[in-house]
Amino acid sequence: MSAQSPRLLLPFVVTVYLGLLAPLVVVIAVSFGPSSAFEFPPRGVTLHWFEAFFASPAFVTAFFRVSLVVGLLAAALATVLGTSAALGLVRFRFFGREAVETFFLAPLLVPEILLGAALYLFYARLAIQASIWTLLCGHLVICTPYVIRSVTAGLVGLDPRLEEAAMSLGATRVQAFFKVTLPLLRSSLVSGAIFAFIISFSDINLALFLSGPQSTSLPVHIFSEIQWQGDPTIAAASSMQIVIIGLLILVVQRIFRLRLVV
Amino acid sequence: MPPGIELEVCELTKRYSPQVSVGPISFEVQQGEFFSLLGPSGCGKTTTLRCIAGFETLTGGSIRLHGERLEDKPPHRRDVGLVFQNYALFPHLTVFDNIAFGLRLRRLGKAEIADRVGGVLQLVDLAGMAARFPAQLSGGQQQRVAIARSLVLEPRILMFDEPLSNLDFKLRIQMREELRNLQRRLGKTSIYVTHDQTEALALSDRIAVLSHGRIEQIGTPAGIYERPATAFVAQFIGSSNMLRGRIVERGEAGTIVATETGLRLCCGPEPGGEIETAEVSILLRPERIQLEAPGGTAMPGQNRVSARIADVTYLGEDLHLSLDLAGGERLRASVKNANAARGWAPTQSVELVVAAADLRLLSG
Amino acid sequence: MDLGRTRPIWAFLTGPYALFLLVLLLVPFANIAMYSVHPYSPTKVFLPDLTFDNYLKIFDLYYVRLFGRTLRLGLITTAVCVVLGYPLSYWLARARPRWQAVGLFLLIMPLMVSAVIRIFGWIVILGRKGLVNQALVALGLEPVKLLYSETAVVIGLVNIFVPFMVLPIMASIERISPSLEEAAQNLGADWYRMFRRVILPLSLPGLISGCLLVYSLSISAFVTPALMGNPRERMAGQQIYDEVLVSFNWPGASSLSLALVLVTAALMFGALFATRYAGRREKPS
Repeated sequence: MSAQSPRLLLPFVVTVYLGLLAPLVVVIAVSFGPSSAFEFPPRGVTLHWFEAFFASPAFVTAFFRVSLVVGLLAAALATVLGTSAALGLVRFRFFGREAVETFFLAPLLVPEILLGAALYLFYARLAIQASIWTLLCGHLVICTPYVIRSVTAGLVGLDPRLEEAAMSLGATRVQAFFKVTLPLLRSSLVSGAIFAFIISFSDINLALFLSGPQSTSLPVHIFSEIQWQGDPTIAAASSMQIVIIGLLILVVQRIFRLRLVV
Repeated sequence: MPPGIELEVCELTKRYSPQVSVGPISFEVQQGEFFSLLGPSGCGKTTTLRCIAGFETLTGGSIRLHGERLEDKPPHRRDVGLVFQNYALFPHLTVFDNIAFGLRLRRLGKAEIADRVGGVLQLVDLAGMAARFPAQLSGGQQQRVAIARSLVLEPRILMFDEPLSNLDFKLRIQMREELRNLQRRLGKTSIYVTHDQTEALALSDRIAVLSHGRIEQIGTPAGIYERPATAFVAQFIGSSNMLRGRIVERGEAGTIVATETGLRLCCGPEPGGEIETAEVSILLRPERIQLEAPGGTAMPGQNRVSARIADVTYLGEDLHLSLDLAGGERLRASVKNANAARGWAPTQSVELVVAAADLRLLSG
Repeated sequence: MDLGRTRPIWAFLTGPYALFLLVLLLVPFANIAMYSVHPYSPTKVFLPDLTFDNYLKIFDLYYVRLFGRTLRLGLITTAVCVVLGYPLSYWLARARPRWQAVGLFLLIMPLMVSAVIRIFGWIVILGRKGLVNQALVALGLEPVKLLYSETAVVIGLVNIFVPFMVLPIMASIERISPSLEEAAQNLGADWYRMFRRVILPLSLPGLISGCLLVYSLSISAFVTPALMGNPRERMAGQQIYDEVLVSFNWPGASSLSLALVLVTAALMFGALFATRYAGRREKPS
């Protein structure tokens, strides 16, 4: 630091960080504790609750057959949709481009709970049953803008003359894109995809409205377990989510600047 | 502290890491003096400045301002003004508010503030710009606001961190002259950091030449130029030819030095008394070489050396010549483009006339 | 590249998502707009008459209290986020790259973990047999009821939304050259006065942006008040959830939702505007 900061700054900052991270630390600690009464600090270390997690059909379905599946699909589809949209926005000039760009990022401005309600009513009107697909569609709405932002940032940094150089060497437009631009966009694509996955995997607000009996996502199941006074299996499920997401964020941070996407 | 000394820097040391450190550096600045810290980037001049301003803490040594120890004081309580390289004007404040910034912190009355700001605006020739914002000013005007902002607080010393390096060439010359006039008029003790030797020579009463975190030499512009103490100074200030040799004899006319190639030269004074080592470097400024047609005789205290012109560079006012000596050394000479000089051309044989006093010896 | 003149490639590229959003964003909201102007009926989902009753009912005492509470808690949350978040933003903006990376990671990572999980953690900490009370009991004091109150909701909301306050402010402060801070100190300002006179005014756009962002997120929060708040003192989000999924008062839920959307959209555009304005106002000196 160049200027002299007050001596209290660092302790204050550390305290705030401790407050921000406290709930996560507590959850992880409880998940390893033997008691079913959410004890902190835990009196021992056990994997009992993790076993309970894998033994519970509700949790396992929620984690593997709903959240994970929807998350991966959302990541893949959002990447395709978002990359194509970003390409159209950055590389082409057309009437109303800025308006379209704002429109594409509009889902970020809508409170998720309201989007959830609106989608629920929409599906109900069309008599569409809740399923993984309705959930997936809902997630695509909120995940794709992150991919668009990430890829846009990456494209803006790319020199369009690279594609022109490829074409002057004989490549078609499409070939130039796949052989030159796409590889250079790799980090934007990967971080966009990872963010899409994370948003989908940890979404609660949309899922509360769009979950059905066969398509209850993990956060929704945790929510209902909390309401019904469940046991530390909740903590085990949560710990796993924390670790997975933490690792994914680390990966993104290594390959891309984190705050561009948030 | 003896009267007349405004700032005393004593064994100042700043250690960044085991490999990277600045100092120990020691120097004094007299009252009213314009003192420059000159050197290439990385030499430690900016670090020294920032230590005096308080933005870096010393690892060792001390700084005294008019007798008071400075290094324990936080930066906002030191009585030194600092003009930043990028001016650091507050973009959200007008010129008036920028200049009044320090005055308002000292809780002066509105009338007095208006008075003093108006006065200093006159001083830097910016009367009437008080309501403008920095973004609306030219580079030169911004710099004057930066100076005014520090001046208005009447600090003991005023420090400049390469203030002219962001300006284009002509503006730089103009601002340089204005700066010198201003400083002379106010008699403000000033410390000036720059890597531009022309600037340092033109502005300063005294210069400290720095290299790799140490002071190479402190002296007046003429002193540093005419009598460089080290090879670095000789080559950083102006340019210099350098030959190696051994001291053979010391006489009344001068010191005789022989080079490896068999050249015997009568050289001038040795700085700071006799050199201990037998191995010496001989420094010769290009403009001190006179060219004559072959066949002349050497006078006492004069050297005549045969050479052949290798190359002539025409620069309008001057001619730069590359000369090859019989022993294979290559010298550079700089002559005015007049009279006989016009005739010189490559492959011609000439004789170089160099006064002994112009051949300076350094040990090593 | 301007091949857009010959074939509208841009249309093929942006078309799919545009269509997608049309169907899954615009139409659903048009749908609830439509619902909102039809009266509620417990037997049929809605009746074909048109009415503004659903909007008028917002002015009933219950709803006025509800919105008042929601807006008030949003305000408190925003204020606390400013107090906690500003110093964090400054530290992050001026931190050395390695520390900044660590700080950003620790800030963003919790954001990405589902809100339910963080709230679960707070429930463990604040519960009757939770961390805080265990400590109090160990000290010989009475356990305190912390959960299921407005305080708990604010704690939960602040915990979740502080990063949204920190990031825009941090971006703003980063744009302020450190030499401005040094100049201010050189002119006699200690750190606090320098902060007030230089950093604060110049980071105002980031602050405004952060406040608007946090506020709009807070007033539409659901999970936090649902799990940590007093069930008798709801926030707007809970009311909407209830009316959609429990009492099936879809017209009522729709009007509430639209009202909330309008407020939030206005705030978000304000935030967008503030950040755009920031770029235009400052020029490097």
